[in-house]
Amino acid sequence: MSDAQGSSVQSPLAAAHYADSANQYRVVVTENERLARDTYRVRFACPELAATIVPGQFLMLKLAKTDDPLLGRPFALYDTVLDTAGNPHAIDVVYLVVGKLTARLAASRSGDAIDVWGPLGNGFSSQPVEHLIMVAGGIGQTPFLALGREFLGRRQYGVPPRVIQPAKKVTLCYGVRSLDLLSGVEDFKGCGIDLQIASDDGSVGHHGLVTEVVEKVLTENSAAVCRIACCGPEKMMEAVAGIARAHSVPCEVSLETPMACGIGICFSCVVKTYQPDGDWDYKRTCVEGPVFDCEKIAW
Amino acid sequence: MPEPPAYESTITPPHSVNLQVSLGRVQLANPILVASGTFGYAREMESLVDLSRLGGIVPKTITRLLRKGNAPWRTIETPSGMLNSIGLDNDGIELFISHHLPYLASRNTALIVSIAGRTHDEFVEMAEMLSAESGIAAIELNISCPNVSGGVDFGTDTSMCERLVSACRQNSSIPIIAKLTPNVTSVADMACAASAGGADAISLINTCQGMAIDWRRRRPLLGNVVGGLSGPAIKPIALRAVYQAARATETPIIGIGGIATCDDVMEFLVAGATAVQLGTVNFYNPKASMEVLDALPEAIGELGATCLDEIVGTLNID
Ligand SMILES: Cc1cc2nc3c(=O)[nH]c(=O)nc-3n(C[C@H](O)[C@H](O)[C@H](O)COP(=O)(O)OP(=O)(O)OC[C@H]3O[C@@H](n4cnc5c(N)ncnc54)[C@H](O)[C@@H]3O)c2cc1C
Ligand SMILES: Cc1cc2nc3c(=O)[nH]c(=O)nc-3n(C[C@H](O)[C@H](O)[C@H](O)COP(=O)(O)O)c2cc1C
Ligand code: FES
Repeated sequence: MSDAQGSSVQSPLAAAHYADSANQYRVVVTENERLARDTYRVRFACPELAATIVPGQFLMLKLAKTDDPLLGRPFALYDTVLDTAGNPHAIDVVYLVVGKLTARLAASRSGDAIDVWGPLGNGFSSQPVEHLIMVAGGIGQTPFLALGREFLGRRQYGVPPRVIQPAKKVTLCYGVRSLDLLSGVEDFKGCGIDLQIASDDGSVGHHGLVTEVVEKVLTENSAAVCRIACCGPEKMMEAVAGIARAHSVPCEVSLETPMACGIGICFSCVVKTYQPDGDWDYKRTCVEGPVFDCEKIAW
Repeated sequence: MPEPPAYESTITPPHSVNLQVSLGRVQLANPILVASGTFGYAREMESLVDLSRLGGIVPKTITRLLRKGNAPWRTIETPSGMLNSIGLDNDGIELFISHHLPYLASRNTALIVSIAGRTHDEFVEMAEMLSAESGIAAIELNISCPNVSGGVDFGTDTSMCERLVSACRQNSSIPIIAKLTPNVTSVADMACAASAGGADAISLINTCQGMAIDWRRRRPLLGNVVGGLSGPAIKPIALRAVYQAARATETPIIGIGGIATCDDVMEFLVAGATAVQLGTVNFYNPKASMEVLDALPEAIGELGATCLDEIVGTLNID
């Protein structure tokens, strides 16, 4: 490609992860299944997107042929679905109903059209690690099925497929408000993820905060061989970042900043990050993240 | 009336449609541009849009010095539109010239650089700085941003506007476009002022001021309290503004506001716009500019026209 592009990629001003493999597709809902209270899994066929997307990346999803809601919304890859020949051909997104688009999506049926564009953002690190500890708060669990599968050597993602040296152990510390909001348990257990649940009301797993579970996992295992990948409410991610620092464990967080475009052109998804000179600047979550080294975030 | 036979096309074939337009000293291959602040620095769109097909690109407005921009939330969706208060988040003109300009200037499409100064002199200084660079087709003076104090005065005071446009024209070899706000009593008066100052073209509209509130928390939803409304919701306001400005001045008009489809583009052309800019639609349909370009020749052909001149400002109001 041209020099101009090369220089803009190296530029300190240019984003780290332009949506360079992104495309826009009109797709059709093939399944929309309720998993838990207010929680659904929508499936649509899109072989191009399913082939290229990697864990921690996201896509923008918009209801087709309507101005209401007008904008797309960001959703993480839950997992890809393979066809009979073993090639990725469909995408699963798991979502919680919180507002206008998610409520309308929950009412959508097989055959309804949606617009999607992706893959977007950077995804989680593919660096080898002995023990990957994934920490989820609520619907923040969605990126972790694909990531867990990848690190357990069960599934490959991307073109050419990312080669990841399997981890010895993958743990998911998953905090929910209550049992009725718990989703994906069969999927997580089915692929060999060590699942540690916490609930605010004690209706399932540890009665208390997910951060307490993370502390326990880090103390019972050798922290020196661990890395944390975290997604959930901001306060929870900040707390997990603090625990990671205390145990000297590297930690990535996936931010859920509201977005209008997902591709870096609106500058609405900004987050305060530390610059090399120690000052802070706003960075676009969609093209610099959504996955950040937790030490870069000015919480 | 009998149905026409199926083999007889009722639509003029689009083969000979000429899409070229001129905006004063600026020549464009076609009238479809993308609006400032809604297309990043274009690099972001490389995989989704064939940039060289666009009539032109207006990157995000730059200022003399770096601006961090406003605190989040910076955008909020409203019925058929959105409010924004980005606050001109940008790295300043010097880093724009060193890091973004080389890329933007080599995309085989007209590059229109949008600038905003805090003062008259700052606008002029920036226009001068850009004149030293090559590859810039025009400078768009953003005298209409509702999200920073200062800027909007040039867009609401006719004599300030005329004086600014004229000074930028005198101090820069690059053609000057004035971008106007709809938040005035008379868009026509502002257009005449920009025209008197010597603008090569006038683009309008920037966003309409608005706000959104969470009544339960008794809080505004935007970090900046008020912001600018854009998207399909403002299209009728924009059409009216283009119509009034085009009747008031001979200076070519670039229509902006809620344009999402080829039909929208045709409405603006008929109302008096020589070219248009697509804004918010890039966010929710990133390929919109390509779809519009695909459909445009046929729509022009449908009116029996072969070039844009035969369409622009042909609104029949008798
Ligand atoms: C990278 C990424 C991945 C994500 N992955 C998933 C996922 O896999 N599953 C999932 O369920 N969700 C995910 N989300 C969150 C999801 O995008 C939102 O829940 C969704 O946008 C809600 O849309 P809605 O129309 O239903 O809600 P809306 O009607 O838009 O509002 C939902 C809530 O957000 C608030 N809100 C609206 N606009 C803003 C704003 N500009 N700033 C701050 N708050 C605002 C509202 O007050 C309301 O409480 C992800 C977000 C990101 C950034
Ligand atoms: C998020 C956002 C950022 C914008 N930033 C700028 C800007 O930096 N400079 C400018 O001249 N206009 C800016 N605009 C205004 C647009 O260029 C355009 O005039 C306006 O949005 C109306 O067109 P639309 O309805 O097609 O979006 C911005 C608009 C939006 C939505
Ligand atoms: S969501 Fe538009 S820039 Fe990130």
